[in-house]
Amino acid sequence: MDGTLIFPDRHGLQQGMSVPDVLNLVSTNGINDWVSSASRVIAPLGPIASFAARSPWTGLEEQSFEQIARWLKDLRDVDIYPSALLLQDAKNRGEIDPTLLEKGLQHWLDSQPLKLPRDVAERFCRAALQLDDLPANLLAATELGGWAKKLSSLTLPVIKTPPVQTLSFRPQRQSGIKVEEDLNRHVIKCCKLFLDGSHAAWSLPNRQESFYRAWHRLVQYDPALNRSQRQLLKNCPKEATSALKEALSALEIPPSQIQNYLEAHLLALPGWAGMMLWRSQQTYQENSLLTEYLAVRISMEWALVQSYLPLPEQPSEEQALLIRLIAAWVHWGDLPIEDWSQLSATQQRAHLTLAYRFDDLLRRRLWLEAWEQTYEERLKKMIISKKPISHVEKPVSAQLAFCIDTRSEPFRRALEKAGPFETFGVAGFFGLPIETCELGSKHSHASLPVMLKPKHKINEFASKTDFESYQQRRQAANSVTHTFRTMKQNMLTSLLLPEVSGPWLSLQMLARSFFPRRAGRIFRQLQSKWLQKPSTELSLDYLQMKAGLPVGFSEEEKVQYVSQLLKMMGLTEDFAPLVIICGHGSRSTNNPYAAALDCGACGGASGGFNARVLATLCNQARVREALETEGIKIPEDTMFAAAEHITTFNQLRWLYVPELSEGAQAAFGRICEALSKVSERVNAEQLSRLPNLGFHFNNPNTEMQRLAEDWSEVRPEWGLARNAAFIIGTRRLTKDCNLDGRVFLHSYDWHDDYDGTLLSSIIAGPATVAQWVNLQYYASTVAPHYYGSGNKATQTVTAGFGVMQGNASDLLTGLPWQSVMKSDGAFYHAPLRLLVVIEAPDEYVERLMEHDLAFHQKVQNGWIRLATIDSKGHWNVIKEGNHD
Amino acid sequence: MLVTLKLLSLPTIFFLSLAMLALSAMVILHPRVPLNFVRIHVRICGLPPLIALLNLVTNSTKVIFGPWRLDPLAWLATLFVLTIGLVVQRYSVRQLLGDRNYRGYFALLTLTTGSASLAWLSNDLRLLLVCWGATLLGLTLLIRLNRDWRVAKSAAVRAGRLFALSWIILLLAITWLALMTGHWQFSLTLTQGSLVQLSSWERTGIALLLVIAVAIPAAQYPFQRWLLDSVVAPTPVSAVMHAGVVNAGGIILARFAPIFSGDLAPIVLIVLSGISVLLGTGTILVQVDYKRQLVGSTIAQMGFMLIQCSLGAYLAAIIHAVLHGLFKSALFLQAGSAVHHNEQAVRATTTQTSFLWRTAGIILGLFVGIGFWFIVKGRGYDMISALLLGWSVSFAWSHLVTSGVGRIGRTVGFTLLAGALIVFSIILAAFYVLLHGTVSQGVQPHTSSIILVLFILLTSSVTGAWLSRHPSSTFSAVVYLWLVHLGEPYHDSIESHPKYLTAMPYSQGGKTRWMER
Repeated sequence: MDGTLIFPDRHGLQQGMSVPDVLNLVSTNGINDWVSSASRVIAPLGPIASFAARSPWTGLEEQSFEQIARWLKDLRDVDIYPSALLLQDAKNRGEIDPTLLEKGLQHWLDSQPLKLPRDVAERFCRAALQLDDLPANLLAATELGGWAKKLSSLTLPVIKTPPVQTLSFRPQRQSGIKVEEDLNRHVIKCCKLFLDGSHAAWSLPNRQESFYRAWHRLVQYDPALNRSQRQLLKNCPKEATSALKEALSALEIPPSQIQNYLEAHLLALPGWAGMMLWRSQQTYQENSLLTEYLAVRISMEWALVQSYLPLPEQPSEEQALLIRLIAAWVHWGDLPIEDWSQLSATQQRAHLTLAYRFDDLLRRRLWLEAWEQTYEERLKKMIISKKPISHVEKPVSAQLAFCIDTRSEPFRRALEKAGPFETFGVAGFFGLPIETCELGSKHSHASLPVMLKPKHKINEFASKTDFESYQQRRQAANSVTHTFRTMKQNMLTSLLLPEVSGPWLSLQMLARSFFPRRAGRIFRQLQSKWLQKPSTELSLDYLQMKAGLPVGFSEEEKVQYVSQLLKMMGLTEDFAPLVIICGHGSRSTNNPYAAALDCGACGGASGGFNARVLATLCNQARVREALETEGIKIPEDTMFAAAEHITTFNQLRWLYVPELSEGAQAAFGRICEALSKVSERVNAEQLSRLPNLGFHFNNPNTEMQRLAEDWSEVRPEWGLARNAAFIIGTRRLTKDCNLDGRVFLHSYDWHDDYDGTLLSSIIAGPATVAQWVNLQYYASTVAPHYYGSGNKATQTVTAGFGVMQGNASDLLTGLPWQSVMKSDGAFYHAPLRLLVVIEAPDEYVERLMEHDLAFHQKVQNGWIRLATIDSKGHWNVIKEGNHD
Repeated sequence: MLVTLKLLSLPTIFFLSLAMLALSAMVILHPRVPLNFVRIHVRICGLPPLIALLNLVTNSTKVIFGPWRLDPLAWLATLFVLTIGLVVQRYSVRQLLGDRNYRGYFALLTLTTGSASLAWLSNDLRLLLVCWGATLLGLTLLIRLNRDWRVAKSAAVRAGRLFALSWIILLLAITWLALMTGHWQFSLTLTQGSLVQLSSWERTGIALLLVIAVAIPAAQYPFQRWLLDSVVAPTPVSAVMHAGVVNAGGIILARFAPIFSGDLAPIVLIVLSGISVLLGTGTILVQVDYKRQLVGSTIAQMGFMLIQCSLGAYLAAIIHAVLHGLFKSALFLQAGSAVHHNEQAVRATTTQTSFLWRTAGIILGLFVGIGFWFIVKGRGYDMISALLLGWSVSFAWSHLVTSGVGRIGRTVGFTLLAGALIVFSIILAAFYVLLHGTVSQGVQPHTSSIILVLFILLTSSVTGAWLSRHPSSTFSAVVYLWLVHLGEPYHDSIESHPKYLTAMPYSQGGKTRWMER
């Protein structure tokens, strides 16, 4: 160690371990282990161009939702229960049933050892449950302070140990010195310059070396730091792990707190840390990126906080807490301050304990649960009370498979109404673990849920001559934007650029402003006319590659994937003449969040490619022969086609239609005929939900197309907002129910699933995707600043792969404010935790819970809710924490 | 009816339409007025620019109309700023839908662009001051509109202070000028006869004040801070700011040309603007946030515009101001498209760039540059124009034609280059025809100032090339870090998470300014 690290005094949290001891305990491996355990508190964050839904709390499901809520509140002041205002608003809209709230309260009271008369407790709780704030003048009352002093001799049964805070955060809390803000500013700057994916003309020097080294070599010259800070950082070790060790011991963090300390640092900027984590998972060379990030951050913290050391002891918050508890009784329990003297010590303690336990977070938990139960009751009523459908149905002319996505539900409903069509729901990657590579692209996209890894690569290809001229046209089109970019970065040419490109840009600007729909269409059409993409085929046959994934599938794999999927869908007999596999994608203009509206099961891209792969496989004669031996007989004249469901304006775009048999041709005609009516109906339904300044539109289709093409549009569609439930069951169960686009639907018939494997793979795959989507929407609504990504109008795209707010901020992780809010004053997405409904006998669900411990844990700890519909049609609720 | 219409001259109709716009902006502020009035408001926004366009094409002489001076330059500036206002307000209808301050944005955008347009029409200097003051005030309020957000508030305070300083300095300059010449009218003050009453030090003094007054809104060194921090404003507000307000300096200097073309003031401005061009370009090179790159670009472009003014090339400066405004607002409005898709990165790198094609590019560049010099019968500033033009042509050639893939690529590249050149010359010619009578040609600049500008441009290009060859040298690291540092926002205008969102009042709170249906 070098000589600058002598701190005469100890400070803050440490419990007397001298510096050399710490160093001995912390081996290099130890540090890396600590970093990887600490990384549970953040979620990896990929580039926004392939925005994939992730739950921010995946690594925290070992603890209950409420525990995590309390911990986040204490540590970062982030509240993950809906705010009182939002809950009141929901109640005013009739989405929370007061009787269920009362029931929840009674249930809670039953579970408490009260030591108070029940009616006193009930009165207090009911008043507090109104969610009004304690009046400020009451809290400031001097008598209250006096009583709090007197009562401080009573020890409350529960005393919280404060969470481990970072040293840079503490001076801010205590005396307003903004060390953490400074630290964040420096770290944001380093991260964005290092990670840059937009190819800045002059990128960070030594960027090709590791993050820590590049930073270390530069920081000694950084004019944003003062001389002594630069000197201190210059003398840091050359390797990230030893630097992290050194910084931690210089800050005297005891080993028992190191993991918590690192967690606190990761949570200061969860977005940038998440991006580092994501990158560290991508390539082997960068696998220690998160350690390097922490090394940079904590070394920097040391340099910034050094002059404030030693920090004063954190003042106890017990006094303030007692004041609040007494004030709560004064305000809600009608127990004036004078009356406290008449209570015995036990009574006083009982009063305080109740007020302490029935705190703000718990009250809002009860409200949230009541809201969730209200939704569940209504859903149950709709599904259970429905008349059973008679089984005599018209012969089905076409069968369509859709993604489980909530936007499929209204479309399926309208389609079923429009003709003899049967629909299915299945995860939108259609069970194909593939990486897709479109014609002429050098980049391939992992088109599957983010928790899985691709196993095959599928290329799109065309004949050589077609391909070459297509490639030239593409390059020519790209060269315009490329030349524009490079001219912008050259000093001399950039000065003339406005004169050269100004007229063209203004033409485009005027057209887009005044004829948004037509201009957008014309630009798209011009582009596709110019490119003339040739007709293509897919490389489905197996080809071993020297490096990387094999291209295509072997014959066995083809059969295996197809049969697995058909079984998942429950389509193994009674094939209609035409089966259409529908992926889905969205269309929007000038929208950094475009990928968030695409298929989440395809890693944030359109599911069309996967649909095409599957339909092509299903039409192969050899695949069909092999399927027949497995007992799946596809009639010869049944044909499979692929389409893309465009969710923004609800049309089907045909991607692959083989030569059709006679029956299939007739079905195709019927579908095409029905589709225009279907689009119009669904569009009318969707349009009424989007805020639109109170205009009436004669033709909803054109208005929805405008939403897709308008460059100023912030809500091209609602995406998966308002999602609330995931129903695993037959379509008979939900047919003719207006589920309001709030439900993920997965086809499942337990009769065909003797050993429960289908159910467990649905739970492990699609249900987890749905849960992540659900929690991402939840988090973006309840903590829009921390887990959402703020207002779209004030975002700036940074480094080409993410967005920040305003001048600079954390790399924002979730959905924009406009994607969950109707307006600044009204929510659209109802933050409810996902309700999974399984239509299967009890023993199926029991078996599932025994085998899938992760799912069991999610249910038990309140990260997901579970209900079942048994073979007799009864709805059973499986309560959080009660299931063993 | 027809008779009354005939009585109304086009300028009168213009002012009437502007009055209507002002009225409509006030109506929109009233909470009882339904929000879909916004659509009507945007239509009304369309009237004044349309009438300004009619005025511009039908009227080519200078008319003094009450306190207004209606010459083509005035109409062009008005048309330009009102068009930007129209486009931005149309954009805001959807972009800001649901914002608590929805009504406020429209009212303030109207105030900002409307009063800017009046400022450029004024003949009376006092009127100019009032209108320009209103523009700056409107802009400050626009930045401040989301004041619940701490960083927006502090950015607004900083911008407001600098704007106030700029306005007061302009006030001083104008008062000084008016007191000395005894007139408050442009048409009377800036005549040869009035100006002889000023001693040379007074002229220099006024010109220096003008330099500071225009350098602040143009975000020139050392006053660039406000623009760097104003990235917090919503996208449409940034578009108006970068298109309609920062380039005011060009128009002001073109108006005050007779007094500005002295000895000292242009040199001071060249130095400040030269630094700004370097600073701005450096910011584009090192920064990775899209909006921050645009800010850097604006600083550099405005520096260049002011250099043009300093060299007496007012016509070129006006053209640059207008086209840059359109260019920059378009780039801001499509800020959402800046996400980098892997597809775009794929470019042919394998093609052999043949020596022949490259030489052809250099020769073409030389040819175009020299050709331009002869066609315009080159005077001082045209040397710089010729340099930029020749360089750009040869640069574009190397990217579009030399590295074009296959026959299709080269043909397209060549066509694009030729098309861009043709449009460029048409636009230039159109501006010339429109403005040559009204915009002062300026006095022939000193050769020394031309050499100074050329020196700044060429040495920095050479330095840039050296730095890119030696990326890991200490010098390079220091320059890099300084450029990053100078382009970064002020420390109190950064917040890691926009906390104000958690305190949004919901509809039942009664305080919202947004009306739910």
